[in-house]
Amino acid sequence: MNLRIISDNNKNDFSLNKIKFNTSIQFNRIAFIFFIFFVIYLIYTFHLIHLGLKKSYNKQLNNFNSTSTKFQRADIIDINGNYLAKTVSSIDVGIKPEDIIDKKKLILNLKYIFPNKDFVEIEQRIEKNKFFKFERRITPDNYEKIMKLGDKSIVAEENVIRLYPQKNLFSHIIGQIDDGNKGISGLEKSLDERLKYSKDPIRLTVDKEIQFLIRSELVRYQEIFKNKGAAALLMNVNNGDIISLVSLPDFDPNLRENITDANYINKVTKGTYELGSVFKSFTYAAALNEELIKPESEFLNLPKTIYCGRFPISEYDEKIPSDLTAEKILIRSGNIGSVRIAEKIGSEKFKFFLEKIGVLGQINFDIEEIASDKNFEFDRCRLETAAFGHGITTTILQLAKGYSILSNGGFYIEPRLIKRKKNEEPKNQILNDGVSEKVVSALRKIVNTEEGTANLADVNGYEIAGKTGTAQQPIEGEYSRAKINTFASVFPSSKPEYVFIVMLDTPKKSTDYVYTLRNNKGIIKGTPFNTAGWTAVEVAAKIIEKIGPILATKSLEVEENDFERLLQ
Amino acid sequence: MKKYLLILIIFFLILSTSLIKNSTKKIEDEIFNVKENLRNLNSELEDVFLEYIYLSSSEKLLEFQSLYFEDQLIPKDISKIKLIKLKNGQNYIEDLNIIKR
Repeated sequence: MNLRIISDNNKNDFSLNKIKFNTSIQFNRIAFIFFIFFVIYLIYTFHLIHLGLKKSYNKQLNNFNSTSTKFQRADIIDINGNYLAKTVSSIDVGIKPEDIIDKKKLILNLKYIFPNKDFVEIEQRIEKNKFFKFERRITPDNYEKIMKLGDKSIVAEENVIRLYPQKNLFSHIIGQIDDGNKGISGLEKSLDERLKYSKDPIRLTVDKEIQFLIRSELVRYQEIFKNKGAAALLMNVNNGDIISLVSLPDFDPNLRENITDANYINKVTKGTYELGSVFKSFTYAAALNEELIKPESEFLNLPKTIYCGRFPISEYDEKIPSDLTAEKILIRSGNIGSVRIAEKIGSEKFKFFLEKIGVLGQINFDIEEIASDKNFEFDRCRLETAAFGHGITTTILQLAKGYSILSNGGFYIEPRLIKRKKNEEPKNQILNDGVSEKVVSALRKIVNTEEGTANLADVNGYEIAGKTGTAQQPIEGEYSRAKINTFASVFPSSKPEYVFIVMLDTPKKSTDYVYTLRNNKGIIKGTPFNTAGWTAVEVAAKIIEKIGPILATKSLEVEENDFERLLQ
Repeated sequence: MKKYLLILIIFFLILSTSLIKNSTKKIEDEIFNVKENLRNLNSELEDVFLEYIYLSSSEKLLEFQSLYFEDQLIPKDISKIKLIKLKNGQNYIEDLNIIKR
């Protein structure tokens, strides 16, 4: 009895377990299917959310360049967004004669679209039964018309070309590429990788309009002074932004010429020159910075000639007084006085000062065409000649950097061609307080006092300050009659904003050019002396007169934008 | 009851999955079309802008000046350029000045 009961109980247990087991299996299967669907559901939900959120993806698509990827190269634009270098796609249309169905009909249609083509020649080429290019760089209208013919013998090929719409204007900055999309000079070379992989255009600091005005004036004066080359550099002293960089002669990068003439060197960044008296500002600034002199410090009984070994050092002008203050030495451009100031500084400190402000040593710049470091030995003789800018060479770019630091309050800046996203204020002050003001004040007197050598630059409304430099050029170890005439200017002197350098390579006196002297002092026909004061200064003044209103307008726009930003 | 609920949920998930998939496909197609249109429009815009830059370049403007406005477009001295500013509802005329004090 007991057994039966047990057996029944067991039976019930067994059947119950079986039912439980089946339910468990069914439930697991359903749960598994449920899980699969749930995962799929989640995937699609996330995908939908992802599509809704991914704005950058669309942005990337918008910037996608339609040109073939093997010739991808980003555009280069100026500060205002004007194209300086642009990659454009073009379509060539060819004909595959073996695929022509009705030759007569095709030629008739093509004649209608291209009435000026030589169809006798085209028929001959069709007869040869080989593929040929029918029209290179076809216009969009004609492309549409020809493709509407629907003839399968017509084959379109997409090509890309690199265009330089400004032609010669930025040739020394932009450089050029070879046929394999490889940059061979200028920014095309230094930014080669970035240009190949960037989808966004690269914005420069240069201004197309100002560059045009400066270049056209340099070209005009090249005909007047018959100089074999020229250079000009306009830079913001506070952030190192280069607004214009011109070097003549220049070239048209669209022509893809192989340039071997050394005269085509970039005279701003690569060409090194003995720049003469423009260096005296550095001598004066170094002594002020070391607190060895004050502007009113007197230098008495200065001789007219001194000797460095067997080489004489003389004043360029016999009328320069023997007793001068330090400031007057700079204003009158005294060679002997500058030597005396440099002797106070000493070789080591003077060399260190020139390196500190970037005039000596190798500059860090956005293009690779820069001068190599010459590492001058500063013995006593070198110190004396360097004091007035001889026996030592530098580039126009480094000169501009030095003048920027001298005039911006002594803050270190690096010249640059590529626009930074944020305008960083210079923070590293490398000159003592007050040095900058004293140097700029002396430079202003060079322009606006009778004693100065740059009176032609006293343009009303710009407060130009600057220093002239007339230097004979050494050829095969001997100083020749060929000159480098330079004017390094800063304006406006009350609150310097721009440094502007003009350099004329081997200018000659003009007999026909009429000078209008500033401050209603009459006119002079013909160049009295082949010095910077009568050549480079005149060119710089005429250029500043032309570009000044544009610069004033642009700084006004910046101010108003800043004001609007503050309001927001 | 649980079974019915489960079946209902599964049915709902199947339905919503297919609906979502269908709508994402439509969105993807639309995105593709928009992308293609934008690409063409951007390309056209760039070409037109390039043409504009060429036609409005300083070189071209000087060419047009010599052809049409020889005596009308002359360089202006900075002292002859004035600014009209609106302050407190009134217009003031100021000199354009590069010198800031």
